[in-house]
Amino acid sequence: MKNRRFSLVIGILVIALLAVVVVRYVNRGEEAPGEVNLMTWGGDFIPRAIIEEFEKETGIKVNYKEVTSNEDMQSLLEASPDQYDLAVTTDYMVDILRQSDMLAVLDKSKIPNYANINPVYHGAYYDPNDQYSIPYAISISFLLVNPEGVESLGARPITSYGDMWQEELVNNIVLIDWSVEIMGLVLKSLGYEYNETDPVKVAEAREKLFALKPNIKRFETNTPEDSLVNGEAVIGFMYSNQAVKGQQARPNLQPVFPTEGMPIYIDSWVMSKQAPNKDGAYKFLDFIMRPEIAARIADMTKFTSPNKAAEAHLPADFKNNPMLNLADEVVENTSFYIGVDRVLDEYEHIYSEFKLR
Amino acid sequence: MQTLKRNILAVPIVVWIGLLVGVPLLFVFVLSFLSRDSLGNIVVQFTLENYQRVFDPIYLRVFLNSLLLALLTGILTLVVGYPVAYITSNLEPKKRALSIGLIMLPFWISSLLRTYGWMILLGNAGIINNVLRALGVIDAPLSMMYKFSTTLIGTAYMLVPFMIVAIFNSVDKLDRSLLEASYDLGANKRQTFFNITLPLTIPGIAGGFTLVFIPALGLFYVSDLLGGGNTIFLGNLINTQVTRGRNRPLAAAFSMAMIVVAILVISLYGRVAKDDREGLFQ
Repeated sequence: MKNRRFSLVIGILVIALLAVVVVRYVNRGEEAPGEVNLMTWGGDFIPRAIIEEFEKETGIKVNYKEVTSNEDMQSLLEASPDQYDLAVTTDYMVDILRQSDMLAVLDKSKIPNYANINPVYHGAYYDPNDQYSIPYAISISFLLVNPEGVESLGARPITSYGDMWQEELVNNIVLIDWSVEIMGLVLKSLGYEYNETDPVKVAEAREKLFALKPNIKRFETNTPEDSLVNGEAVIGFMYSNQAVKGQQARPNLQPVFPTEGMPIYIDSWVMSKQAPNKDGAYKFLDFIMRPEIAARIADMTKFTSPNKAAEAHLPADFKNNPMLNLADEVVENTSFYIGVDRVLDEYEHIYSEFKLR
Repeated sequence: MQTLKRNILAVPIVVWIGLLVGVPLLFVFVLSFLSRDSLGNIVVQFTLENYQRVFDPIYLRVFLNSLLLALLTGILTLVVGYPVAYITSNLEPKKRALSIGLIMLPFWISSLLRTYGWMILLGNAGIINNVLRALGVIDAPLSMMYKFSTTLIGTAYMLVPFMIVAIFNSVDKLDRSLLEASYDLGANKRQTFFNITLPLTIPGIAGGFTLVFIPALGLFYVSDLLGGGNTIFLGNLINTQVTRGRNRPLAAAFSMAMIVVAILVISLYGRVAKDDREGLFQ
């Protein structure tokens, strides 16, 4: 009795698994011509208004798949490389996808507007020969500060990460919730580089990290600016687009570009090696790199554009905003998080211990 | 063949569960013994390293932290839920249906939204602080957010309907003649409750506890939002390893450990409720 029921269950499981395989096989290559499938961050990361204009102009339909992490994009691309044409993904993921042989080499002759990209962004670590990716949106992290709030607590004005350890700031800092980023901040405050592996330096950073705990109000990755807007914190370490939103909501908030240096992230376009509609994808890439289109995208998304030719089309308030139109000396003081995999286990462990304190 | 015929109606659900629970669970189990390369891709190479990492002292403390939260959530929901369930089951049928409806109503709204609701309520510029300030009760806002207790309240709020419904079923089934007998023999209300009602509803309490405890182990967004990420729970650990940590085998090992804890809790429940013919899993 028992045995038979068991084999029944196993049989059903096997049939179910086979069904999945068959369904997937049948669904392959069902791509209708004249469609471009892209995937990237949700919200309006690629503004729908711009996509509609492209659809109207070319007759090519664009399907926008929203994902919440680079790793989701990786999984989707691995699971069905022939279902997606384009993705916008963060620098380190471009590196991973490139090394995993998932990406197509881009034919620049089909993208005349590629010439508009600022050469400063050429040859980054994740794509040294600029074969696989085109930068789309640039952001950095820095401190958003409420200067009056800092003063009323009796603390010195904030100019560097080092200033965050002042005793007066107890319970007044909000941070992005990510081990690599926070360890990076501490390492920079000690004068070291991101993703340090030297055990002595890491141990030093660990102690300094623990000393920061009393000053932290909250860890928040998605809307850290809210804590500064509602006044529960006076310093926030966050991404530039978040800081822009925070300052819009509360104009007395000021960006502080820490003297020790800041991280930079470049979200870039990549094409799946098995993209079903490469021609359509090239048309789309060329469209969004038109100077006036790129300028409008930058203004809508509040991300710095790598499109040099777009600068002339940017509205004045974007151009005059130091958080969006990054000064050269700010960009020069930024660096990427390279080699996260070498440090991640160690940093996550330290970060867990830090959280438990 | 006879068996198959008799159970034919159960086939769809067995297929459904097999496909959507059984197969993925098997994947997680296998995954927990695999390695990954420097790009975070899974490599088919047997290792026990993931399980070694689960037993790291720091990660064990994360486990204990989660168990503590789940235990306190169970106790809090019991204290809040028992009177609600008891009173509801003693209502006349129409009011009782209304009461049950109201208890289930929050499920119509996304739990994430309800968590944001708590933030609006408890925040520094939130409703409670604004009202208290307007009334002149306080000068500076009370700091109610980003604490362990905030996470506890949020988690308990999220799960209390399960506790209420489980106890309600138990109280509802209670043989009323036993209560009458108790009163006839001279016991007062209090004595009857503690000597008759409470012991007879222990299977319901255990069932509710199980239904609350297990999800409380894994809810991570409540502590992210209400707890301000100031402490770390098992759910946070797994979430980070799956996403940014790019270490799915380690996440799988943590998940298996969590499943073992859940199985222990369920078997404990099985012992408590073994005489209860109509318990949760009968």
